[in-house]
Amino acid sequence: MSELFSRLRLPEILFFGLIALCWEMASEWFGIRPYLLPSLSSVLAALWNNAGELYRHSIVTLNEVVVGYLWAVAGGLALGLAIHTVPLARRTVYPLIVLFQGLPKVALAPLMVIWFGYGLTSKVLMAFLFAFFPVVIGMLGGLESVPSHLREHFDAIGASRWTRFWRLQMPAALPSIVDACKTAMPLAVIGAIVGEFVGAEGGLGYVILSANASARSDLLFAALVVISILSTLLYLVVELLGRKVWWRGV
Amino acid sequence: MTSQADPADAQASAGAISIRGLSKTFGALKVLDDINCTIGEAEFVSTLGPSGCGKSTILRIIAGLVEPDAGAELRLLGEPFGGQSDQVGVVFQTHNMLPWLTVEKNIRLNCEVRGVARAEITRRVEEILPVLKLEGFREKYPHQISGGMKQRAALGQTLIAQPKVLLLDEPFGALDALTRDQLNVELLRLWQKIRKTVVLITHSISEAIFLSDRVLVMSDRPSRVVSDVRIDLPRPRDPKATREDPRFGQYVTQLSALMGVH
Ligand SMILES: Nc1ncnc2c1ncn2[C@@H]1O[C@H](COP(=O)(O)OP(=O)(O)OP(=O)(O)O)[C@@H](O)[C@H]1O
Ligand SMILES: [Mg+2]
Repeated sequence: MSELFSRLRLPEILFFGLIALCWEMASEWFGIRPYLLPSLSSVLAALWNNAGELYRHSIVTLNEVVVGYLWAVAGGLALGLAIHTVPLARRTVYPLIVLFQGLPKVALAPLMVIWFGYGLTSKVLMAFLFAFFPVVIGMLGGLESVPSHLREHFDAIGASRWTRFWRLQMPAALPSIVDACKTAMPLAVIGAIVGEFVGAEGGLGYVILSANASARSDLLFAALVVISILSTLLYLVVELLGRKVWWRGV
Repeated sequence: MTSQADPADAQASAGAISIRGLSKTFGALKVLDDINCTIGEAEFVSTLGPSGCGKSTILRIIAGLVEPDAGAELRLLGEPFGGQSDQVGVVFQTHNMLPWLTVEKNIRLNCEVRGVARAEITRRVEEILPVLKLEGFREKYPHQISGGMKQRAALGQTLIAQPKVLLLDEPFGALDALTRDQLNVELLRLWQKIRKTVVLITHSISEAIFLSDRVLVMSDRPSRVVSDVRIDLPRPRDPKATREDPRFGQYVTQLSALMGVH
């Protein structure tokens, strides 16, 4: 984060400044109606005036995202490992989840609400469904990326399966796992918001829907801003955790 | 000096490695055809042979990484063997360092896996790092050191477990000629100190002569040991004096002829 800011130089400031300016002046310069694209200042005002409410709804969404994401990471790693180690799982579970991945998961949201109601569970499941697949693939690809000469080395020194897993396969898979976890993070946010669109009593997706219904496009944009900040912050957390467990030296 | 029969047969039952009737077939490909040889304790033996004739395969079989065809009789330090053994250490052509561990941790790994006590591993590391000239690089990661250092570290990864038999599969094959010569001199010095049984695979005739007590020459697939040349050059061998010894040149001529290089 600090690195991000310390690197900011004139070209970057000009670039983002210009975007902000165009946004602010959109209605005057390009004749875009404010209810279609409210000015930056009115969005900031909406953020300020509804801070308490947006905060409350952010917590709802954050909860859904984090719980769904953690299940997706835990489940994805476990399933990736299972597919890698159990030949039967590779022939049965693996094709199943690949098939399942082909479904538009957005279309599953109504089903989740029918099955699990308007509460937390259906959103957690949506976040999980969006984030799960990349983690499985990342784990699987990582475990398969172990070079054969290193495998042979572990054979030669008589390593047990346990040693091999913890000292060879997992470290070798880590870069791929970390990448998968980074990819999955924003997907979990999308999943939760989609879940909220279909039926919810709270959350930022709910705020967007109700702002839309009452033609409050400034609040709608404020909610969008909060979502993207939330998503970015979560991504940075995963990125920092990823750097802790793995350096990209090679 | 030549021929399939092993001259040292009679007294060699106590050899470090004894191989009788070893064949290996991969699918329809017969790679090794009735290999017989005995390698004495503390002997340095090199193996020359055309590419793809099965030199690495023999090494893998001795290391217990590949199963031989049925009927082979293999003995390691007098014991029949199957599977990998603590007594054998292998160094392959590509170094086996884990990119996420430092040089020192890579060297420790072998003993950690085998359950050697920490204090003992540390003692061995302190002993071995100076010999390998890696003291100043113990905290470096593999990508931060040179190719020659990696191969020295790979040697350390194996030597740390103190194997009785050392199998070297073109350990310096990936390096330039100069570094390779230098590492050979270091390897020789090291061997004169530790005096383990060594089986070295190489493509270099002069390297084989310079280092070995015996050179085994293998034929093309399905391969056999076609000759067993004893290298009678005095030890300890000084690089310059050895190369200038007239017998060195004779061995080069003899082995080149055996390998069909003229
Ligand atoms: N696991 C395996 N499965 C099938 N064939 C194999 C296997 N390992 C080796 N071979 C074959 O056996 C033959 C001998 O291989 P090997 O690696 O022992 O040769 P080599 O003498 O070490 O060659 P080089 O000098 O090029 O390293 C080759 O033709 C190779 O294709
Ligand atoms: Mg080979």
